[in-house]
Amino acid sequence: MALYNYLKNFFTRNGVFLSVFLLGVVGFWIFFLIILPQIFMFDFSFRFNLPPAEQGGPNDVYTISHYKFLLFGSALSEDSYNVIDLTVFLRTIVTAVFVTLFDFIICYPIAYYLAQVAKGGWARLMVLSLIVPFWVNEILRAFAFRIIFGSNGVINDALMAMGIVDDPYPFIRENIALYAGLGYAFVLLMIFPLYNAVESLDKNQIEAARDLGSPWWRIHWRVVMPFAKPGISSGCTMVFMLSAGALAAPQILGGPSSLWFTQIIYQWFNTGGNWPRGSAYAIVLLITSIVFVLLVMKIFKVKLGEIAR
Amino acid sequence: MITDRLGKYAVLLFVVMFFAYLFGPLIIMSITAFNSADFPRVSPWDCFSVEWFDVLVNDDKLMDGLRNSLIIGIGVVALSVPIGLAGALMLMQISPRVRPWYYTIVVSPILIPGVVLGISTLIFWDRLGAMFNANYESIFYDGIFLTIVGQTTFISAYSMLVFISRLQRFDPALEEAALDLGASHVQTFRKILLPFLKPAIGSAAVLAFLASFENYNTTVFTITSESTLTTVLASKVRYGINPSISALAVTIVVLTLFAAAIMEIKKRRTDAFEKAISKAVIEGTDALSKLGRKSNRLIDPAFAMIIVIFLAGLGTAYYSGTVGVDECKTSVKEAKKLETQRRVDERRKKQMFEGAQPGTQQAAPNTTAPSTGKAKGTEGYQGIFAPTNLESQVKGDSGAANDAATDDAPAKGTEGYQGIFAPTNLESQVKGEESSN
Repeated sequence: MALYNYLKNFFTRNGVFLSVFLLGVVGFWIFFLIILPQIFMFDFSFRFNLPPAEQGGPNDVYTISHYKFLLFGSALSEDSYNVIDLTVFLRTIVTAVFVTLFDFIICYPIAYYLAQVAKGGWARLMVLSLIVPFWVNEILRAFAFRIIFGSNGVINDALMAMGIVDDPYPFIRENIALYAGLGYAFVLLMIFPLYNAVESLDKNQIEAARDLGSPWWRIHWRVVMPFAKPGISSGCTMVFMLSAGALAAPQILGGPSSLWFTQIIYQWFNTGGNWPRGSAYAIVLLITSIVFVLLVMKIFKVKLGEIAR
Repeated sequence: MITDRLGKYAVLLFVVMFFAYLFGPLIIMSITAFNSADFPRVSPWDCFSVEWFDVLVNDDKLMDGLRNSLIIGIGVVALSVPIGLAGALMLMQISPRVRPWYYTIVVSPILIPGVVLGISTLIFWDRLGAMFNANYESIFYDGIFLTIVGQTTFISAYSMLVFISRLQRFDPALEEAALDLGASHVQTFRKILLPFLKPAIGSAAVLAFLASFENYNTTVFTITSESTLTTVLASKVRYGINPSISALAVTIVVLTLFAAAIMEIKKRRTDAFEKAISKAVIEGTDALSKLGRKSNRLIDPAFAMIIVIFLAGLGTAYYSGTVGVDECKTSVKEAKKLETQRRVDERRKKQMFEGAQPGTQQAAPNTTAPSTGKAKGTEGYQGIFAPTNLESQVKGDSGAANDAATDDAPAKGTEGYQGIFAPTNLESQVKGEESSN
């Protein structure tokens, strides 16, 4: 009944045409693009990998074998756990955390500088030049790092010319190129939330703290950072999610012996040819992301609306 | 006070380093586009040339991908802007009790990894297709349709956020006034709200198009057998690098700089214009009419200047990049031949000198290269999940160290990108020549 009244109000307020448009479009978005695909994927991850002809047949029953596989590996292997996939998963998460920290450390001073120190046209020029690199494709950016860090790359050439190393240092194999490339890829997503947050801070607060004798690091720790908390949580969440879910950079820059969790998923869908198992792995990634966002919301005491901006 | 100044310098140094990190890779990549060498590199520099731009334009696969990307981009804009608008309008009207739930759901696609969105879209439409017994040519399996739908899922959320931030500045009194004056709801929407949202529609459309054009993570799953610019690029970068990709990057960078410059000039101009208007209003009608004439000018001198300089620069670069390249190339080839000869001689001398134990000396620089190449080659194939994979790689490493000289040649064959990454590339060439002699 309440729903009926609400709808009636809605229709009188918007007129029939607009109401139908709003409800139809939003309904399509929510159900056909957001919710149903996730539910179908969830359902699919509990099914056996059957050829199309057998799908829906008597063999099409639910199973948790794919999740089991992620944990324990195939029955043929000697290890009691699926060491490789689990290691990759953990390494992906840990690396993503470090990439996030790295981005925060290099972006916070810049955001602060842009928002509070730099003035006028100079600051505008800097903001503009921050945006320019990010109009360039993600893949091309990774490609640039490959040129730089390759064994014939600029850095190795420079190091060898200076006589610091005799042989090219394997930046790609040691994953240094990957870390640098991932950090680079998401700098902007860290810097703008930080910048927006710090910019609205009243300069008088900083001056007051300084007048009261606070050293610079305490000003940041006790005044600027607490104020910029929503920006910090937003930037960190975005960078973490994007680096944990990155696919292009690990494919292009990753060392041969190190995989990214998304790459495993990708392989189940392509060369592996096991979609349900890939879905199960994707569900694990999805749940990890949700847990991470909830964790950030809890730790920083922010709302979802402040994170996704 | 010395510490103060030091601190200032430290901050400045940090800012400079940060921007070097930001632009360094792009600059180096851009430089490689003009080197005639087959592999994108800055040193050794062969010849200044624009041949890679020709290669780029004549690359059918890339151009195909570009066309698909444009189609998908337009489709995504056409879907995600109305969806984002509807989503934002809905948020304003929905009852406060369900609003947090609604907001969580519609914003979640931004936070869900793109890979997951791509997979769920793929599976959802695949299953739907199976339910309707659709054949494989139908829309349920069409890569372009799936990609449009998959990207729309999260790009709609972007454009919704754009609309929300604009709507927050909307004065509802305007709408009420229109209704009081007898306008219908549809009229109010069309005549009041839409014009107010017009700038937001523009920026949402641009944002949506760029996001779609750039997207890889979702697209790579939903595109199935088709290709977009990003997927073609990714496979090119992974399996065979040549500087035409740098040439593409240069094109994009130049276009970006161009757009940014135009935007900046426009912004400054409107700012100056607004200032002038407020000044002219104070001074009187005469000044105002003068202003009107000024703003009516068709082409801005500054714009024209920029375009002329831009075209002139392009022309010069192209001219100097096509003239004399062949002569330069032949001379570089000669130089390389001489260098190779010199190395061969040197190596012979060395081997004669070392006599009994050439193996260890030679192997040292090779420890990394062959194994890198080999493992890269197998990446993406079945072997990776074998639990013994890691071990065998380690073994491969030590094996390579022992017999790198013999291992080098077969490894090159399996790599797929002709061993360009192997630092020992030159050396192995030398060896090849040696053995053929």
